[in-house]
Amino acid sequence: MVGGGMAGAIAALAAREAGASVLLARRGPGGTALSGGAVGVAPDAGAPSTVPFALRLRPMEAARRLAALRPAHPYAIAGVGRLAEALDFAARALPGLLAPFEDRSRFLVTAGGGVAECGLCQRSQVAGDLALARGLVAAVGFRGHLGFDARPWAAAVAGMAAAGAPPSAWAEAELFGGPEEGTLAPHELARALERPGAAEAAGAAVRAVLPAGAAVALLPPVLGLDPAVRVLERLAAAAGVPVAETLADVPSVPGLRLQAALEARLAAAGVELVSGKVELGGWPRRPLLVAGQEREARAVVLASGRFVGGGLVRHGELREALLGLPVEATVGGESGTRLAGRPAPSLTRPERRAPQPLLAAGLRVDAAMRPLGESGQPAHPRLFAAGAVIGGYENAADGTGLGAAILTGYLAGKAAAG
Amino acid sequence: MERFDVIVVGGGVNGTGTARDCAMRGLSVLLLEKQDLGCGASGGSSGMIHGGVRYMLSDRKVTELACRDSGYIQRIVPHLLFRIPFLVPFASKGERARLEERAEWYAFEVYFGAYDQYQPLKRSKPSVRLGAEELYRVEPGLRPGLHGAIAFDEWGIDANRLCLGNALSAETHGARIRTWTEAREVLRRDGRVTGVRWRDALTGEVGEAEAPVVFNASGAWSPAFGRRAGARVPMRPGKGVHLTLDRRWSDYGVLCTAVDGRQMFLMPHENESIVGTTDDDFYGDPDDIEATHDEVQYLLEGAASMVPGVARSRITRAWWGVRTTLHAYGPNEDALSRDHRLLEHAADGAAGLLSIVGGKLASYRAQAEDATDLILSLLGRAPAACHTHEEPLPGGEAPVDVAALASRHGVAEPVAGRIAYRHGARAEEVLRLCDEDPRLRLVLCKGEGILAAEVVHCLRHERVRRLQDLRRRCKLSVGSCGGLDCARPAAQLAARELSWSPEQARAELADLLEAGWRERRAVLDGHQLVQEELLRGVFGGGA
Ligand SMILES: Cc1cc2nc3c(=O)[nH]c(=O)nc-3n(C[C@H](O)[C@H](O)[C@H](O)COP(=O)(O)OP(=O)(O)OC[C@H]3O[C@@H](n4cnc5c(N)ncnc54)[C@H](O)[C@@H]3O)c2cc1C
Ligand SMILES: Cc1cc2nc3c(=O)[nH]c(=O)nc-3n(C[C@H](O)[C@H](O)[C@H](O)COP(=O)(O)OP(=O)(O)OC[C@H]3O[C@@H](n4cnc5c(N)ncnc54)[C@H](O)[C@@H]3O)c2cc1C
Repeated sequence: MVGGGMAGAIAALAAREAGASVLLARRGPGGTALSGGAVGVAPDAGAPSTVPFALRLRPMEAARRLAALRPAHPYAIAGVGRLAEALDFAARALPGLLAPFEDRSRFLVTAGGGVAECGLCQRSQVAGDLALARGLVAAVGFRGHLGFDARPWAAAVAGMAAAGAPPSAWAEAELFGGPEEGTLAPHELARALERPGAAEAAGAAVRAVLPAGAAVALLPPVLGLDPAVRVLERLAAAAGVPVAETLADVPSVPGLRLQAALEARLAAAGVELVSGKVELGGWPRRPLLVAGQEREARAVVLASGRFVGGGLVRHGELREALLGLPVEATVGGESGTRLAGRPAPSLTRPERRAPQPLLAAGLRVDAAMRPLGESGQPAHPRLFAAGAVIGGYENAADGTGLGAAILTGYLAGKAAAG
Repeated sequence: MERFDVIVVGGGVNGTGTARDCAMRGLSVLLLEKQDLGCGASGGSSGMIHGGVRYMLSDRKVTELACRDSGYIQRIVPHLLFRIPFLVPFASKGERARLEERAEWYAFEVYFGAYDQYQPLKRSKPSVRLGAEELYRVEPGLRPGLHGAIAFDEWGIDANRLCLGNALSAETHGARIRTWTEAREVLRRDGRVTGVRWRDALTGEVGEAEAPVVFNASGAWSPAFGRRAGARVPMRPGKGVHLTLDRRWSDYGVLCTAVDGRQMFLMPHENESIVGTTDDDFYGDPDDIEATHDEVQYLLEGAASMVPGVARSRITRAWWGVRTTLHAYGPNEDALSRDHRLLEHAADGAAGLLSIVGGKLASYRAQAEDATDLILSLLGRAPAACHTHEEPLPGGEAPVDVAALASRHGVAEPVAGRIAYRHGARAEEVLRLCDEDPRLRLVLCKGEGILAAEVVHCLRHERVRRLQDLRRRCKLSVGSCGGLDCARPAAQLAARELSWSPEQARAELADLLEAGWRERRAVLDGHQLVQEELLRGVFGGGA
């Protein structure tokens, strides 16, 4: 497995489950560690905010429709028949971190005061699911820090009232006090909350400012990096109400937590973990190079990510970084590797918020997750791809990023072991 | 209806500079800017307070005026200026320079020798001739095979803050400044202009203001504005594109030759390098303009021909401005005069309307002085002395001791340095906010050295009406990160300071990001493309 993000990790675990011996190498954290922290599967894109939660499409149905509408999306190419199985596999692989898979969308408040529809979420986010929360949601920011403004969170909840979201209010709690608090980065705050007694003190501070009738406290996404320290549970006990985190910006504590949980699970499952770069230049004629060492592998899964992960690069032209596989782009209904050579302005649209073909470019795969070469045939029968290195969707922005990584990782892992 | 002596249309360097001069000479002034101060050619310029050595052959007067005025500008805003030494490298085609090449170098030396006469006017050092060895010692990144260079001195400036400084000073002298307010119609009676009808783009409010003189300083938009009064403003607009590179690629500005033989440059500018510029006749709508792939490649190739490493550099944005050069049919764009002219439109049936065409940032103060002299005479007022070359702009009152400033307020010295660069003597006021509220020590941008305190100061004192105005006040979200760290907290601070609703704050944030996207779209490659994926992960899809 080349890459240790969600796609590579799920592929490794799926291949282990199928009995293969697995080596996973990654040269650093990628998109997964930077993600907001919950798994986007298939948001019901067409539904305005007034449609009641109960009438929204469930993730599996939404994914089926998405596959029918967007033929280049990995859901269309892989088929969504095993999506539920893959998501369930992922949730069971990380039982301490993720809530069980239930084919039900979670509506979670984002760091900037939006609402994201997710198919799987971390346990720390469950109590903030607007479709389930009952009673007053109290958004609580930190008085001593300007980075987490609770007002937009409360407004985001209020904006979903017609869909059935509960009422909301906002408040600010004194976290540690002290002048240095305001200059800490999210991961530093998370570490500070792991110190003995800090979660309890913060919980008491939250309790002190909770509006009357508050049923849930929605807090900044900094509630500890290590789930074993149980910052959230201790804080909630002291606050006297269930507590949830919002989704995160970069740097993302929930994303780091997700990455750490994946690594712990890989080690426990007997995957050989190597830190370093993989070079595939001569493979399969020559052994591959893993952190400078020659290694033999019967099959390879490219789970090297998009641009952030390092799977794709563009220096004047788009290229797959390890093997130089052809990259495909889709512009206005036309798809092809030829389009990937166009200048950036021809691969982007003037409106920032429009889908951007340049950021949706990637490998094209067949239904067995094998990347296609110039000829349109699989580049190699035992080479597979998974996650954001596959194109056809804008992984970072279309709300399906980690979901597609789980599905394609699961399928590629099983196929590689087979 | 409000009455003024003069209405200034346009908040570029000419509009703000003239508003200041008029206000200082006792006139009541209204300045209307349809977007934000500096957002036209002024902010889109190369930001050089240069002597115009290039114009010496054709327009010696322009050179002298520019040098003299640069000296004045240094006196009134010392904090905003920084020295940029420039190199004009010489190449030889063969191993040993041929006779005609030697003659060419000699001609250059004579030419720069002549320029040296003007250099003391702007406190610049005289030019020096460097041999090959010295040349590669001072600038090792230059391509091999050069035989030497002439080094000469120029000055750079933050042009947006120059416009702001003039506007703030004008306000202190009683002028009214309205940004995001467009002059939509010209009111006329009996062959004279009597005022304008304006519209506030943010509130939708409309209003009329009366004045016997309307000064059209709307840059590339001035022909369109003139037409509304039936007046003709002839000019030959030229589009100019620049690239910003993520770091300083050279210590000297380097003159390069583009593929078509045009002169262009690569220069260090504050923390970055700038490659510029193109100059092409522009027939389009100045509100609908972007950099093209061709322009980006043209500039990159030209810069890399002299500093090869630049070919691998990270381009963080491509931006543009439209020059308002005096009209002439025939010469190619570069050869057009950079002199300025004031046009009275009485013959067009619009007496009292005055337009400025051409000119330079570097001579803005003198242009404003000319305009103000003429405005006084159009008003039938007695001439009054101009003091804009003596009275400092805000922040220029006294030099700043950065180390002392940093330790006094407990902020890192590089951050204090950047804030002192932008705010001069007012940096003290900015940092005092941190003492009152320690949360404001939060660093929003490490690259630019932006503190939350600075954003709050700008919001309170620097005429910020939209979040994107902070791009021009303190470079918020203009750098290579595209706003990843700073955009959200700045939007939240603005919401608190300006009482925006959460929805409005989100709309402003989206608008800020859109402005950055427009400048990056043509240059998304390498690391900048990686950054774009991150930005879209955080801000894409609307969230
Ligand atoms: C800022 C941001 C926020 C996001 N938020 C969300 C969200 O909230 N929910 C959601 O569902 N999706 C989100 N996404 C999308 C989602 O994070 C990605 O689509 C997903 O993480 C991709 O997973 P991946 O495993 O394919 O790649 P990555 O996680 O990027 O992993 C790629 C791995 O490959 C390794 N690698 C690359 N080349 C080599 C090599 N030569 N040798 C060794 N290793 C190599 C890298 O080091 C890295 O470990 C977000 C994306 C971004 C950028
Ligand atoms: C690429 C480029 C590089 C340059 N480099 C340099 C340099 O290094 N040094 C130098 O000295 N000079 C340079 N110049 C020239 C210099 O920038 C210009 O001469 C100067 O900025 C012109 O200022 P202005 O105020 O006339 O125009 P602008 O700065 O364009 O201001 C006009 C303003 O009017 C506003 N406006 C338009 N219509 C209306 C309306 N109806 N109502 C209200 N407001 C309106 C616009 O929004 C705009 O802000 C350069 C120019 C360009 C284009």
